[in-house]
Order: sequence, then C-alpha cells, then structure tokens
Amino acid sequence: MSWKKPDSTMHSIRVTLLKWLITPLVLINLIGAALTYGLAWIPAQTAFDQSLADGVWALVPRIKELNGQLQVDLPSEAEQVLRVDHFDSMFFVVRTADGKPIAGDHDFPLLQPSTEIDEPSAYDGYMRGEPIRITAIRTLIGNKQVFIGAAETLRKREHIRNLILSSLIVLEILLTLILIGIMWIAVTKGLLPLKKMQSDLGQREHNDLSLLESRKQPLELQPVSAALNDLLDKVRESAAGQQNFLADVAHQLRTPLAGIKLQLEWLQPKLQEGSEMAHSTRLMMSSTQKMIRQTNQLLALARAEPSRFEKKQLTRLELGKLVESSIQHFVTESDKKGIDLGFDLRAALIMGDPYLLSDMIDNLIDNAIRYSHVGATVTVRCHTEPDGGGAVLTVEDSGPGIALSDQELVFSRFYRVSNKVHGSGLGLSIVRDIANDHGAAIKLTSGGGRQGTIFAVHFPPVSH
Amino acid sequence: MHVLLVEDDLILADGISRVLRMHGMAVDIVATGDSADTLLQHTEMAVLVLDIGLPGIDGFEVVRRLRARGNAMPVLLLTARDAISDRVRGLEIGADDYLVKPFSTLELVARIRALVRRSSPQSHELQIGNLSLDQFSKRAYIDGKPLELSVREWAVLEYLIQQIGRVVSKTQIIEAILTWNEEVSLNAVEVYVSRIRLKIAASDLSIRTIRGFGYVLEKTGQHNA
Repeated sequence: MSWKKPDSTMHSIRVTLLKWLITPLVLINLIGAALTYGLAWIPAQTAFDQSLADGVWALVPRIKELNGQLQVDLPSEAEQVLRVDHFDSMFFVVRTADGKPIAGDHDFPLLQPSTEIDEPSAYDGYMRGEPIRITAIRTLIGNKQVFIGAAETLRKREHIRNLILSSLIVLEILLTLILIGIMWIAVTKGLLPLKKMQSDLGQREHNDLSLLESRKQPLELQPVSAALNDLLDKVRESAAGQQNFLADVAHQLRTPLAGIKLQLEWLQPKLQEGSEMAHSTRLMMSSTQKMIRQTNQLLALARAEPSRFEKKQLTRLELGKLVESSIQHFVTESDKKGIDLGFDLRAALIMGDPYLLSDMIDNLIDNAIRYSHVGATVTVRCHTEPDGGGAVLTVEDSGPGIALSDQELVFSRFYRVSNKVHGSGLGLSIVRDIANDHGAAIKLTSGGGRQGTIFAVHFPPVSH
Repeated sequence: MHVLLVEDDLILADGISRVLRMHGMAVDIVATGDSADTLLQHTEMAVLVLDIGLPGIDGFEVVRRLRARGNAMPVLLLTARDAISDRVRGLEIGADDYLVKPFSTLELVARIRALVRRSSPQSHELQIGNLSLDQFSKRAYIDGKPLELSVREWAVLEYLIQQIGRVVSKTQIIEAILTWNEEVSLNAVEVYVSRIRLKIAASDLSIRTIRGFGYVLEKTGQHNA
C-alpha cells in the first residue's frame, strides 16, 4: 500500500492544528507586545516631561516685576545651565499674557498652557523644522500672568523608544519561535500513532489481512482501527469464502468424475481395438483425465492461497524425502513419454507444510515432463547452499526452453506457453504461491530459445 | 474375495462394482452408513470399501462401530476431500488405507489386494511369470531351475519382488536387507542389483535404474505395473 502525495484539496490534520494554534498565538503576542510597549513608554515619557517641567520651574523665581514691568534676571551662566544637554537641543521662552516675549528664544512656538495656574501641560510641536516636546505653564508674578515654555528635541526620547521597541521585537520573535517549535513537536508527537498505523499498514504484504492491535492504540484512534478491523474481517471472510467455494466445487466434482472414469475403464477393454466406439471412448477418457487434473489443480490452488496459509503448520522437513514420496507417479509418467528422469538428492532441511510442498514438487516435475519432448532428460536435485545458506530444489529439463518474453508470464494463472500440450495453466501459479507461502524465491533460467529450462526454488535457511 | 462397497453415488458405486467384478471379486453394494452398519453386524466380508461422506452415519462412524465390536476386517476409505485432518482421522479411527477420488481401477484393485494379503496368513510361495520364490527355504527358480543367489542377493530380490512396480531407493533397499550391526554401502547395493540382473535375465522380469535414486522391478514389456 502506498500513499499518494496529498494534493491541495486534501486536509492535513497537522496543518489545521498548526493553523488554529499559531494564528491566535501570533495575534495574542502582537497585542501583548503593544501593551508592553505602552506600559514601558508612558512612564518614560512622563519622566522626561517632568524633567522638562523642572526647567520651567527653575525659571519662575527669576522673573520679577519692576515698575509694572516684568523682567527676567537670567545671567548667561544660568542660561547655559538651562540649555545644556548632551543629546538634545533645549529651548525656552517667557512671554507676557499678550504674547510678548521677555526672555528666551523668540521663535518658540505658541504656548498652550493649561487654563489652571501653575499646572504644567506637555504636548508635541515643531520648532526650526524639528519635532519637539513642549512643557508650558501659566503662572502669576505679582498679579500679572506670565507664560513660560520649555522644549527639547526628541533624540533622547526616540533613542529610548527605539530601545524599548527593538528589544520588544526581538523578545516577541524569540518567544513566538519557541512556542511554534513546541507546538510543532506536540502536534508531531500527537500524530505519531497515526503515522505508526500508516507505516504498519504500508509494510504489509498484499495478502496480510491480520487485524490491527487496537489495544496498543490511543483512545482516539481506536474507533478508526476498529472500523479498519471490521473491513479487514469482511475482506478476509470474502477471500476465505471464495477459497472455500473453490474447494467445495472441486471436491463435489470428484465423486462424479470418479464414476465416469471407472465406467470408462470398465468399458474400454470390452471394445474392439480400432473401432469407432473405442476411438470415441478413448477421447472421453482423455477428456475425463483432463477434467480430473484441472479439478485437482484448482484444489491445489485453493490450498496454496496465501490467505489460507498458516505458519503454525510448518514442520522440519527433508526436501529429498518429499521428492521421494511422489517419485512413483513421475517414474510412471516419464516412462510413458520415454523421458529419462533422474535425481540427485542431498541433505536439504527446510521448514514447511509437507502437503503444500508436495503439491509444489509435483507441479514442477509434472511441468518439466509435460513440456519436454520424447527422449529428453529431466533431473531433480536438492542440496543446501554452503556457509549457512538455505536449501535449494532444482528441476532441470532438456526441453524446448522458455522464451524470454514468456518467462514472466509462465507464473500467471491460465497462461500456457504451448497449446499443443494439455496443461491446466495453473501449475506454475501453484508453485509460485506455495514458494511465497514459504518465503522461498523461484529462479527461472532458460536460454530463451536455447534448449533446456531450470526452475530453482531457494528456501530461507532453517535456524537451528 | 467378497467386497462390501458402501457408496451413495450410484454411478460411482456401479462403476466400482463392475471393475471389481472384472477383476474377479464379488461385490455387495449399500448406499448408507446405517445399512452398512446393520449388515456388518451379521455378515463377514473379506474387505470393506467405504466412502466417508455418507447420508446418515458417516464412514468414520461405521469404522468406529466396526472396531468397537472387535471386528478386524480390512477397511479402505474413499474420500473426495483431501483435507489432511480427514486422512489422519480415518487412519486413527482404525481404517487401514484411504484413496482420494478420483482414482484408477488399477490403484483400487491393487490397494484392495494389498489389504487382503496383509490380513490373511502369508503364503511362502510367490509366482511372477516364470519366476517363483520360496520364502521359507529362501530359494528362487526360473522355469523350475534354481538360481544361485547369495544371502544378500536373495534379500534384495525378495524385497524388489515384494515392491514390484514400485520405485525403491537404494537407502530403502539397505534398510530392508539390513540385520543389526551390519553395514551395507550404496555401492554394494549397486553391485547386488547388477548381479541379480544377470541372474534373472531369463525371467519375465527386469530391473530398471532410476538415475540418482534407485530401482524399479518390472514385468518385461509392461511399464506401468
């Protein structure tokens, strides 16, 4: 089973989970960052405004009323102190209520003090083309209102603000990345049982219909595996049903076939040699034999079906002994065709089902005899590969060989290389199924067109 | 030789009885397990040929009841199933042999004869064509003339004749002729067989070699015994 690459219309649980986790998380982080920025910046701004206001307050005691005139007593040293700052340019102004400047920078922007007396107000403005922060108050000198303003450029403030912003951004990015990482790991870990289920199913042989072990799976996957198991059960039942049907049909046919065969065998010797009746009876007999073989082959095929195969039935077997048990039949068959049948049987231990393996050996030898010409040689060998290798069974014939183009096809059901020879077309599929059941590999060597074919069945080594 | 045949398929029963009669046997046919069981309580037969799948009580049950009565009559089971458990069960329950349908006349007759031979007292005389064997005195004759055979050669010939028409491996021959604390090599078997071949050249029998495996003793001019 292989998974197709998911196309864009497919849903990914991982993507959905991550989308739903990461989007709100990033939003919450952004809101949090904005709040943090506000919380850090507002006190800083207030502190700066306060220190600007201090400058204003420092001017107040220096303003005097003399002869109804307002005067500012500001020696240049004191003005220097007011104006000194390492980063920013400082400005100030003192104006009468009608706007006449009496000290400081004459181009100071219009003052907008609070309507309350002695209540400083801070606001943004522009001066000499630069943004500035202004603090203004309205105060009383004697009974005259005086407006005092102090201002500074924003470099210090910008610097602090940038510092807050950049550290916040770095912090937030780091935090977000860590959280995404954690989510990714969590989602991956959460999806692990699904992935395991997928790989377990993916590694299965095409005929492995065993149930999933739902006990080991998380609660959420259990309904899925239960549903899958139900399906596997149904598939298995239908496969078994098919096999049972095949087996039932085949052996329901056996009794009537036995009846026909015996009736014909009784009839044949009574007919005059060479008569038309003898000819017709011989053809009936030949048809009956074919039907018998086909029926037996169908049964063998049903037996060999991998879904029926049970590893429990495996026993230690000597390949040579198995060959021996069907030797009688093949000596008779090869004799009829004048084929020289020979053996070279050495120690070869395997684990297997003796009845299935007999079916396999029968079919391999039968195949070699069936497709070889009169006078050909067929040799059956078995041995154990050296250095811990497995057992090997080979059946070699000096028959016509199998063309390269046919070599893959001979193992498919009902495929026959020659229609001159009566075969079931099932023999080599039975051989292949039984070899598969036993984890054995079949190697077919035939010099395509040249004479002779070797079928070699390589069994896995038996552990001692 | 009297055979009781229990088979519910009428055409097959008819076919079996015809071929058995052709081979000189007397055949009674019944179609159900119950009637077979009843009949067997009163009648003694030489051999019972019994289908497993019968209406009423099945073949297994017939054999079980037969053996429960202490009857040792040889039983050949016929089965359309080749399920291994069926074969094993049949033999465990007391049947002597089984045959899977469809079988050939020759197979059926050979099995029945073998069963009867096993159950009846052994005769010491064996006659195949013009060769006769006296198992008591361990001597062989062709057309009445005695053959010069060593003890080992006699044992090999006797075994081959017992297995006539069957392929036997050299190992099987060794196991058959061996008495304890002796050793016989595969090469020795080949030597015995080639000597026997020369000595029985005048008989109707010949020993064919199965390359790399063993031998088969055959009647001359007839391959499938």
